[in-house]
Amino acid sequence: MSALLRARGLAKRFGPLLALAPLDLELGPGQALAVLGPNGAGKSTLLRLLAGLARPSAGTLEIGPGSASRSRRRRAIGLVGHATFLYPALTTRENLVLTARLYGLDAPAERAQRMLAEEELLAVAERRAGALSRGLAQRAAIARALLHGPQLLLLDEPWTGLDARAAARLSRRLEAEQAAGRALVIVSHDLARVAGLAARALVLVRGRAAWLGPEALGDEKALGDAYAASVNRLEAAA
Amino acid sequence: MNALVAILWKDLLSEWRSRDRVVAMGVFALLVVIVLYLAAPPGSGPEARAHVPGLLWVAWSFAGVLGLNRAFALELENEALSGLALAPVERGFLFLGKALASFVLLLVVQLASALAFALAFDLDLRPVAGRLALVAALGAAGLCTIGTLFSAIAVRTQYREVMLPLLLLPLLVPVLLGAVRATNALLLEGTLPWPALQLLLVTDGVFAIVSFLSFEVVLDE
Repeated sequence: MSALLRARGLAKRFGPLLALAPLDLELGPGQALAVLGPNGAGKSTLLRLLAGLARPSAGTLEIGPGSASRSRRRRAIGLVGHATFLYPALTTRENLVLTARLYGLDAPAERAQRMLAEEELLAVAERRAGALSRGLAQRAAIARALLHGPQLLLLDEPWTGLDARAAARLSRRLEAEQAAGRALVIVSHDLARVAGLAARALVLVRGRAAWLGPEALGDEKALGDAYAASVNRLEAAA
Repeated sequence: MNALVAILWKDLLSEWRSRDRVVAMGVFALLVVIVLYLAAPPGSGPEARAHVPGLLWVAWSFAGVLGLNRAFALELENEALSGLALAPVERGFLFLGKALASFVLLLVVQLASALAFALAFDLDLRPVAGRLALVAALGAAGLCTIGTLFSAIAVRTQYREVMLPLLLLPLLVPVLLGAVRATNALLLEGTLPWPALQLLLVTDGVFAIVSFLSFEVVLDE
């Protein structure tokens, strides 16, 4: 099984501040990794590095086959970030059509229509993104990230702002994506949800990492205990 | 090429709905025309009025900078610029789409302010309309190509409103030199000097190539 994501010694510094200590990471098709940690731990920095939105201070990163072009690597990634990446003056539909065009997809309008239907966003398709509620904007952002069928999904707090029904639907969608061979990296504070999806977890504290295996991800309680122990250990070491 | 059209469509549609850039640019350009009219009203000496046509570029260049300052501001909302940076397209085409949208908006402002200018100074622009449009378009192209590149740089700095003119205006000297000379000659003598046109064409070409190639680096972190 060839890895979709390979990082070796990946590190990030902002001047004297160590945002991410050298990290090795590998993720294959159908695998999901949870990234946990307190605020300011370096989780979002890690996602930005993996997405190619920030340059590492050290280390190497490969997305897809090692020889993949920059364009193919970008095409392989779907990112749901802290922000929605939506243009407020455009409608939900127009935002998706724009994304489809930028990714060179065939029949952009049809692709957008299908995604709106799949994500149950047809009712707000003609509403400007700037007028969407936080939850609806988050759903539109998720639809935007999934539109081009990326092999690697990078998700930063994807359940933020979603109501219970939408959150449950997102979890089901992520399970389906995983079953279809997509790799997932999920940054979240929602231990119950990530415990149901990921088989491994990376705990970050002040840029330093500890790994949790499948035994810690059996349920929310086990993950909570293992997470707290890792945070204490990393903070003592920092 | 798809990316160019997509960005152009997005920028013009956003502007059509908000009209914040074109209104600000247009009002500013008209105010400059009014100031010029007050400085050299009809009946003032020929020396004062000899420089007035070239001064039209004061209105156009500062209105252009005003618009360029906003060109990437709409990419900051919801971090849309990061979304753009994720797209698997040649970054140069994203640049061209943004530059072309700014160019179209500046042309609209140039047309409106040229009409106001002709009315204020009692000039008949009809005999030179085509050639004046060519000079205006070449000047606007130079302004919008290098201006879009520097707008993308300045937008991530703390004092972006101040930073863009500081970075951009010194580089615009060859564009303004060619455009002002050509406009002066056209409106005062009815001729279009080839050296001024050459300067505009060469500068536009250099700015377009440099900006196209370096946008990849600029769009990265």
